[in-house]
Amino acid sequence: MEYSRLKYDENNKYHRFSKSLGITIVSLILLLEIWWIASLLANSSFLPTPLETWDALATLYSVGDPITGKSMWQYIAASMSTFLKGFVLALVVAVPLGLVIGYSRIVRQFANPILEILRPIAPIAWAPIFIYGINYTVGPILVVFIGIFFPLLTNVIFGVMKIDQGLIDASKTLGASKLQTFTKVMIPSAVPYTMNGIKVGLGVGWMCIVAAEMFAPINAGIGYYLQEQSSVVGSGAGAFAALVIIAILGLLTIGLADYIHRVIVKRMGMEE
Amino acid sequence: MSDEISNINEEISDVDNCGCEEAQICIKNLRKVYKTDDSETVAVEDFSLNIRKGELVTIVGPSGCGKTTILRMIAGLLEPTSGTILIDGKAASGPGSDRGMVFQDFALFPWRSVRRNVEFGMEVAGVPKEERRTRADRYIKLVGLEKFADSRVHELSGGMKQRVGIARVLVNHPEVTLMDEPFGSLDAQTRNIMQVQLLRVLAKTDQTIIFVTHSVDEALFLSDRIIILTKRPATIKEIITVPWPRPRDRADPAFSILRKRILVELENENVMG
Repeated sequence: MEYSRLKYDENNKYHRFSKSLGITIVSLILLLEIWWIASLLANSSFLPTPLETWDALATLYSVGDPITGKSMWQYIAASMSTFLKGFVLALVVAVPLGLVIGYSRIVRQFANPILEILRPIAPIAWAPIFIYGINYTVGPILVVFIGIFFPLLTNVIFGVMKIDQGLIDASKTLGASKLQTFTKVMIPSAVPYTMNGIKVGLGVGWMCIVAAEMFAPINAGIGYYLQEQSSVVGSGAGAFAALVIIAILGLLTIGLADYIHRVIVKRMGMEE
Repeated sequence: MSDEISNINEEISDVDNCGCEEAQICIKNLRKVYKTDDSETVAVEDFSLNIRKGELVTIVGPSGCGKTTILRMIAGLLEPTSGTILIDGKAASGPGSDRGMVFQDFALFPWRSVRRNVEFGMEVAGVPKEERRTRADRYIKLVGLEKFADSRVHELSGGMKQRVGIARVLVNHPEVTLMDEPFGSLDAQTRNIMQVQLLRVLAKTDQTIIFVTHSVDEALFLSDRIIILTKRPATIKEIITVPWPRPRDRADPAFSILRKRILVELENENVMG
């Protein structure tokens, strides 16, 4: 084999992919190593080794949770269902609201003080109020809603405000009314920003769901399991198994959103 | 040589400004003042111009003199401080499809295909789908983009993009097409090709065109009349009637003489004051 074929070539797609894959693998191995060493040094049941975590995960997968009688899939389904409801709610409220706030200066001036007061409150701070004030089912949904709502709203407003004035001029001189310009030009141009808001929002929302579920003893998903394993059972391995599931699901959700975002931006011929 | 110059001067000095009644576009005493909290800038002062149907008029002037401001006022995108703009005797107010506009940066809708861009004006006017498509395809063909009707805008070159921009306006049969440095962002070669193509397309219509440019060469190649503006505040310095039939030869000595004359005038404007 020629030497040159082994040499790294920046212009080769497969070479680039192999390189980045290699670095990713090394990085993940390093994370595992650090975890492993830390768990050995700590020698505490609350910091299990990766192997103990793997066992706990395998047990949850095959046997389920003996305390509640729920399977791993039931926990995941419960979390995903709450998450999805909060997400849809945020989408239905934030997108139209963002379009109107971005479009009208008066509405913006009116809405800004309200938004600026509410925005700095961490979404999870609402959890006790929503969960104990309303109920265990609706509460976590509302926490997820808050988590997704603000980043999404901000991005939609930004998308409408950042629209290319030239496109609006073009629309007007082609005879479009104000309403037609809004629906046919402003809304489509806000789509990439909206998608970006969804991406950021999903990340925040995913952090909120697990935290919110810890307050909810019934109907709860993986967040509840995490809480149960740490406090009732006292199993660090069980808690870490929950963390692994949370990480993987979060990665999948955000990866999917990222993929959809890229496809839509490309299909619409727009770059941000 | 001096004979030739005086000849040209004689031919072009004939300022055949028709009366407001016969004109398709009648602009009277247009004035635009930009106000900020502590200052006032007069951008356009006492601009009056009558344009006949089917005429191609270019507006040239020193950079930043207010050419685009005039065009945007005619388009209805800017409100004049005072003065009137009559299109076929009716006062123009606010933008509308009777005054189509072609933009320097194309301003095409990136999420729409070429055809859907061309259809936009008919779509908002409520033209039925079938008719929309037939008419759009006719104009896409007219600008030579029939192979790209379903392409996305970002797949096209600059020259092709502007052909879409032109088709998108002409398809609506506007009273006048306003072109704001439409070839300003194209390279010199493409620019010359686009000028030839524009004339070819216009020969098949009786479109009235008001064309803003900073290229004297472009103005001489295209226009029936050239409006030379003063520096800010913009007002008409001179109107030149281009005496030659089209197609014109850029290499013609008479062409260069006239070009030089206009360039000197523009330069004087830039230097003075």
